[in-house]
Amino acid sequence: MKAVLDKSPDYASLKKKNKFINNLKRDVWLYALLMLPFAYILIFRYAPIYGVIMAFQDYNIFAGIKGSEWVGLDVFRFIFQQDSFYRALKNTLALNVYDLIAGFPAPIILAILLNEVRLAKFKKITQTVLYLPHFLSWVIIGGMVYLMFSNSGMVNTFLANLGLAKIEFLSQKVPWLMTYISVGVWQHIGWGTIIYLAAMTGINKELYEASDIDGCSRLRKIWHITLPGIKSTINILLILQIGRMVSIGFDRPFVMGNSLVSDYADVISTFVYRVGISSGDFSQATAVGLFQSVVGLILLIGANYIAKKLGEDGIW
Amino acid sequence: MNTGTKKKAAILFSTALLASIMAGCGGNNGNNEPAASNDGSPAAEASSGPVETLTVEVFDRGIQGQPDLNNNTWTKYVNEKFGKPNNAVVKFVTVPRSQEVDKLNVLMAANEAPDISFTYDGTTVTRFAKNNGLYTLDELLEKHGQQLKSYLGDTVLDYGKYEGKQVSIPAKRTLLAWSGLFIRKDWLDKLGLPVPTNKDELYDTLVAFRDKNPGNVTGVIPWGTAAAGMNYSFGNLVPSFWGPMSEEEFVTTTNWLKPGNKDAYKWLNKLYSEKLISPDFALDKTAKQADADVTNGKVGFYGANWDYPLTAKMREPLKQNAPDANYVPIDVFKNAEGKYIKETYNENGLFSFIPKSSKHAELAMKYLNWMADPEVLFFLQFGEEGVNHTMVDGIPQGIAQTGENMQMSNLNLDYTLIVNGAELGDTEKNVKTYAAALATGDKDYEKMAIDSYRINTTDGYTGFYYGVPNEASIKYGKTLGDMNKQMMDRLIVAKPAEFDALYDKLVKEYMDAGGKAVQEENVKHYREIKESGK
Repeated sequence: MKAVLDKSPDYASLKKKNKFINNLKRDVWLYALLMLPFAYILIFRYAPIYGVIMAFQDYNIFAGIKGSEWVGLDVFRFIFQQDSFYRALKNTLALNVYDLIAGFPAPIILAILLNEVRLAKFKKITQTVLYLPHFLSWVIIGGMVYLMFSNSGMVNTFLANLGLAKIEFLSQKVPWLMTYISVGVWQHIGWGTIIYLAAMTGINKELYEASDIDGCSRLRKIWHITLPGIKSTINILLILQIGRMVSIGFDRPFVMGNSLVSDYADVISTFVYRVGISSGDFSQATAVGLFQSVVGLILLIGANYIAKKLGEDGIW
Repeated sequence: MNTGTKKKAAILFSTALLASIMAGCGGNNGNNEPAASNDGSPAAEASSGPVETLTVEVFDRGIQGQPDLNNNTWTKYVNEKFGKPNNAVVKFVTVPRSQEVDKLNVLMAANEAPDISFTYDGTTVTRFAKNNGLYTLDELLEKHGQQLKSYLGDTVLDYGKYEGKQVSIPAKRTLLAWSGLFIRKDWLDKLGLPVPTNKDELYDTLVAFRDKNPGNVTGVIPWGTAAAGMNYSFGNLVPSFWGPMSEEEFVTTTNWLKPGNKDAYKWLNKLYSEKLISPDFALDKTAKQADADVTNGKVGFYGANWDYPLTAKMREPLKQNAPDANYVPIDVFKNAEGKYIKETYNENGLFSFIPKSSKHAELAMKYLNWMADPEVLFFLQFGEEGVNHTMVDGIPQGIAQTGENMQMSNLNLDYTLIVNGAELGDTEKNVKTYAAALATGDKDYEKMAIDSYRINTTDGYTGFYYGVPNEASIKYGKTLGDMNKQMMDRLIVAKPAEFDALYDKLVKEYMDAGGKAVQEENVKHYREIKESGK
């Protein structure tokens, strides 16, 4: 990169327009590389927005968007009359709040613990092992959970052999929620940890040295140096997480849910799957998706606004 | 110098990236593309002119050891006998059995549905027809489908009409039994118990299975089942609890509101709480656990399709794991009138249709018509004499198969879209043939199949055919179907003390979610039919 900068001509002598073209010429390969993610976002994130029109139509899959009949807000009216929609919305928010409470601090704590480990080899191995579940598909995790936590699963057989009562991990409300949340934390913890560890390496080492001279204890160092050092990272991740509050992945609730817990496991994504893909009612599915995005946007802007008011950096 | 290297590196990386993306796409295409070209499809060298490709849906049932669904004895026969003379290649597009409607919806919406698609769900076909997404087949049938028309007959074809137009080709169902109930006779004998003939006797038997564990297995399951909706069922238990009602009520009222329906689930709930039913059945969404329990000889009693014990995936592992196990079909749910009423199938099976997006409608109709040829049908159902079956007294006896000769569904019903069940003329012969084919020479299984068919068509009733689509059902049908399954599971597992309140709550939710609308429309249609009948 240094070489590139060295070559840059004298800016002051150039007009604005030339400057732009020159910039472009100079970094043409970087821009070419940028085109790839740019094209990705354009094709997969912006182009599909066209399909939002379906939410305002009685969409006929054979006639397409051009040939379908406009119905205004009828689809939304129909959705807002359905109890199952409110149930899905409520469950989505509830599961996300629990996830936030349990899942957000976990990687921070783990990252701090790993950061304090002296043995580099142990640290690396632990990090890798913790990171591995991130690559497992939920279908596989679902199978593992069934084998371990069902009524005749490993854990319950063990409990029974100890003479203890069985716990219905997968069919009762509270145990199911606990299982759902903890399995989620187990899967995500490694991924979050890596981000925080990266942020920690950016903290100036001299601060630690200075605190050593001042006779700081380990906990003090964590409290006064490490945590403030990763504060902005925590902040941004928290804002993003809040923005995602209304959206929820499909696989996890779908795989872990079953008919006995449908009252709390049916979320917006499974609702959309059911009405959209299973019943073929694409208008309804689109309308719910649109609703979800709008609420998500409001939450994101709200969280960002509050963060800025509190004197922190927002995401923009 | 340095810049030059960097630039080169950048080009290298970006091309590498692009190349890998391309490769990724190419790889996917390769996977979707069926293997027809690899095996030197016979049609390719057949004649001049462009080769037409006909795509046909086929279920992927995920059977252990199944061959390539697009390259096996049956697809080769199709390509040889139908493809070659018509200068066409027939390719099969796989759809997972348990998600057939979901996948079909996606394929239809993307205009990528196979030229011949099918489903067992009549409502889905009606919805496609209503949205004007299907070919109207009257003319094609007249022109290219005479053989098919005379084979199916008007009664069967009527099931495929929408507003007077033929929109789908229903398969002819030759065997009408639906579900069956099976009990371990060897366990009964060991305990010196008779075959139960009513609910109370069954209850006592199940308790004995639980307490005395006659098979000496770990984790005995008196009554094995899986989550509602996959193969396993409670047979005709629920209808046996229904009280007397008028014909109109019987036909139009949703089951949840029929007199006595609640008692049926209450009884099941009691059995579950007394640990007589599979403890994890509601979590067993794919029925894999139930299959394993049955074939490992742990299950004393179960309800499933009337021919389920005969299927290779149940029969073979059971023989290996529990050679003594002897399941016999029984009729046990007697109602207050002393009858064993149970629902049987109408005369139609799956519905084949040609999506509007298809460019080969004529060829598709020719294909279905070709299949109605008795010789073709016989080969696809029974294969070659000496290889797939042997003839005994004019009845083909199946020979167990592996590899590319294997049939993934009973008598290849996924490849023979116009028929469901053996087709050799009269019912008795059909049952015998079907039994012989599935039992692959095992006389015990053959007898079991014949008994099971007789029992499971006794006191049968069929679903009422309105002949007109139910708009509410098109709109809410799938949601209600899902709710149905959830309700069954939840009611059975509920704590006995909470059962009554839960039942009322769930039924109310069901009615509010569209159950009421469907029922009202049913009543309306029913009365119209009765009026016009007078």
